[in-house]
Amino acid sequence: MDLSLPVIVGIVAFGVSVGVLSALFGIGGGLVMVPFMVLLLDEGPHLAEGTSLLVIVPTALAGVAAHARRGYVDFGAAALLAIGGVLGAVAGARIALATPDDSLQKAFAIFLILMGARLIREGYRGRARG
Amino acid sequence: MSGLLGVGGGIVMVPLLVLAAHLDQHHAHATSLAAVIAIGAGGAITFALEGEVDVQLAGLLALGSLFGAPLGALVMHRTPEGSLKVAFGCLMIVVAGLLLWT
Repeated sequence: MDLSLPVIVGIVAFGVSVGVLSALFGIGGGLVMVPFMVLLLDEGPHLAEGTSLLVIVPTALAGVAAHARRGYVDFGAAALLAIGGVLGAVAGARIALATPDDSLQKAFAIFLILMGARLIREGYRGRARG
Repeated sequence: MSGLLGVGGGIVMVPLLVLAAHLDQHHAHATSLAAVIAIGAGGAITFALEGEVDVQLAGLLALGSLFGAPLGALVMHRTPEGSLKVAFGCLMIVVAGLLLWT
């Protein structure tokens, strides 16, 4: 890719916000990086996903280092999740390839809405108590 | 799940850790992020083997994100439990909206 200086500055600045979101919410940040690369930088979707995954590794390492200093990381649970996550990613790719429509995506969205609503309710209750 | 829908695992792992494993919200975010390292590495290797990684672009994004991550960690540390729960719940609903819309 041929990049001019303003574009380079824009990409690095976007990277800063990815880092903030990732460490704040405990997510990779692919959610914002993939659309950014596809829509604004004209990357192909696969190249955007691959690049996003590569960025996630050092970003998450830096976030975890800061969280671990404050004692927030449960390494045992993280190891179990990582094993499950890697197996789930392989299985998920196969299921996605074998499923022709987007019904799985819709079911997943509904799952997120229900769980999200539950967290919001618990959060408000906690604030009311404390 | 991340391979299935192209979303990172964090959006699923955090609510699982809070609602099923009963971690508090701060520990859930930090623990999910630790698992994300391994899942991201596995995914990145898979895509790199197919030549689907732009190393130059990844370097520029990482240059910024390495500054942003400690900042995000500090913001999380200073955010009270209830507010962090509400914020994450809102994030989940936004992601659900994006999935339904796109």
